Amino acid sequence: MTITNFYDVTLRDGNHALRHQLTSKFVGEYCQLADSSGVWAVEVGHGNGLGASSFLVGKSSTSDEGLLVAAREGLRNSKLAVHAIPGFATIKRDIYPALEVGVEVFRVATHVTEATVAQTHIEYLANRGAIVHGVLMMSHMTNIAGILEQAKLMKKYGASAVILMDSAGHFVPSDVADRVSALKGEIDLEVGFHAHNNLGVAISNAMIAVKNGASIVDGSSMGLGAGSGNAQLENIVANYGRAHLDGTKLREYLQMSRLVESAFEDYLPRTNSSSVESGMAGVFSGYAPQVKQISSEMGIEQEELWNEIGRRRLVAGQESMIREIAQDLMNL
Amino acid sequence: MNSKGRRVAVLGTGNIGADLGERLLLDKDFELVAVVGRRSDSPGLQRFQGRVPHVLSGGITALLEIVNDFDGVFDGTSAHDHLHHWDVLHAANKWVIDLTPSRLGQPLVPALVGQVDAMVLNDNFSWNYSMISCGGQSSAVILHAICENAVDIEEVEISSSIAALSAGPATRTNIDEYIDTTENLARIVSGCAKAKSILVLNPADPPIMMRTTVHVKAAHFDLEKITIRAQQLVEGIQKYVPGYDIVLKPYLNAEGHVTATAKVTGAGYVLPEYAGNLDIINSAAVETARLHLQKLI
Repeated sequence: MTITNFYDVTLRDGNHALRHQLTSKFVGEYCQLADSSGVWAVEVGHGNGLGASSFLVGKSSTSDEGLLVAAREGLRNSKLAVHAIPGFATIKRDIYPALEVGVEVFRVATHVTEATVAQTHIEYLANRGAIVHGVLMMSHMTNIAGILEQAKLMKKYGASAVILMDSAGHFVPSDVADRVSALKGEIDLEVGFHAHNNLGVAISNAMIAVKNGASIVDGSSMGLGAGSGNAQLENIVANYGRAHLDGTKLREYLQMSRLVESAFEDYLPRTNSSSVESGMAGVFSGYAPQVKQISSEMGIEQEELWNEIGRRRLVAGQESMIREIAQDLMNL
Repeated sequence: MNSKGRRVAVLGTGNIGADLGERLLLDKDFELVAVVGRRSDSPGLQRFQGRVPHVLSGGITALLEIVNDFDGVFDGTSAHDHLHHWDVLHAANKWVIDLTPSRLGQPLVPALVGQVDAMVLNDNFSWNYSMISCGGQSSAVILHAICENAVDIEEVEISSSIAALSAGPATRTNIDEYIDTTENLARIVSGCAKAKSILVLNPADPPIMMRTTVHVKAAHFDLEKITIRAQQLVEGIQKYVPGYDIVLKPYLNAEGHVTATAKVTGAGYVLPEYAGNLDIINSAAVETARLHLQKLI
């Protein structure tokens, strides 16, 4: 069977849970631990990736460069990775400087139907010899044929892997099995899967992706991530060890988990009524803080707001629509 | 206005070019003499067969063969191609309205002419006006209204979401240039060096209407003056973009942070209503050309 690469998004997706307040001190500390675990790559940055610190999504307390330099110092074995969404990140302003810092893996991400927006960035990085993954975010928002078409484009541009993100935590295990196996069956490239835990099945989804041929699996320590969080990395590793009698260093992953648990006790994500509502409505997990704030400020039910956002089919990066939608719901 | 100066060509036959062609055919201030594309079978060119004197498929080279038949050019190709186009068109003493995000020409938002120092019309006949981007055109008046009534501006941001269907191949491959030129506009209008721009494509069906949100961080704001000023400037932009409206009036988002959102509904010359992004940049282009000629002739 193929080797499974564990991909740690704690220091990127987890930054959503921390409202983008991650410090370079913590990044350095965490990376030293992660580096001894054998995790394939550690992704670092603002929750929406390079260049995304903004009023729209949330301001980072530490610059991309500050976080990446700290991570670079801590990582010798594991690769340093970033998430980059064209429309937020540009080559000149963000991607080139990240290459200079020594980032090795670039995940260029678009909404699941918009891969063409990433052509310039993927081609540039592939030409520079970086490892490039194409990421299809909000992958529940199109059908399997649509996913295959977009994955083929990313491969054509030069991506060595395509990562399916269940950004809304909407998938159940059979959805993941169908999509990952279709990708593996139709296209000769690596497939990865990134889960969110809105419906409480993130770890199952990650495991079923591996079973169906995904060779890259995303997770985060304690599930630290947007909304109800990601698949817990230590649990994926434990499950994987049971299934494959694998000697992966669970002990190191548990140390990473303990570090996160003690440092961010008040920020640990959980699956609650709001996250189930958002998962069922198929809304981007990163919207949770804004939905919580605006619904309480304007006195409307979170469920009503989640459902209306879902009905209007918002994608990642449309935070400023939430207030307008809330006003519409109140007929203001 | 006499005919001197107002004979125009449209370069590029994508979404932008086709919509511009239709507008210019209806506009009595201009005489559309040529539509120029690359491929003779492109639908954008086909639609003008028999309706415009010159329908040319050989790009800028073909256009230069009729160099004495036109005075100005609307360039709706790509940022990369525009650099060469301006070289040869300037040498031929033509005025040019650049609809690509090349950042080559003078950025202009018609509604801000005379309101912002940098937004002035030039006295040279052969001049290059940059239409910046749809995000730039749709944010500029709100940004100006806020910044004019703010003290010690620290940071500004423009974020836009547009319907995926309205973003053609050039927009997609030029997304970095789009961001760069929009951030440049934000600096010009606000006078603040720290500027950010974001673009999001949304594929929802039915398609979404374009939204642009402006954020300004400053030590102090006069919200009442901002609201009045924004309303005045919006009335100015509505003269050439009837579908422009503020959907979230300027409000104090947090201490020292004002936010507002505009919505742009397209006029629908060629593309449906959801293409407000194309409508606003094309409307600004035609308005800029009109102002340029009014000043000179």
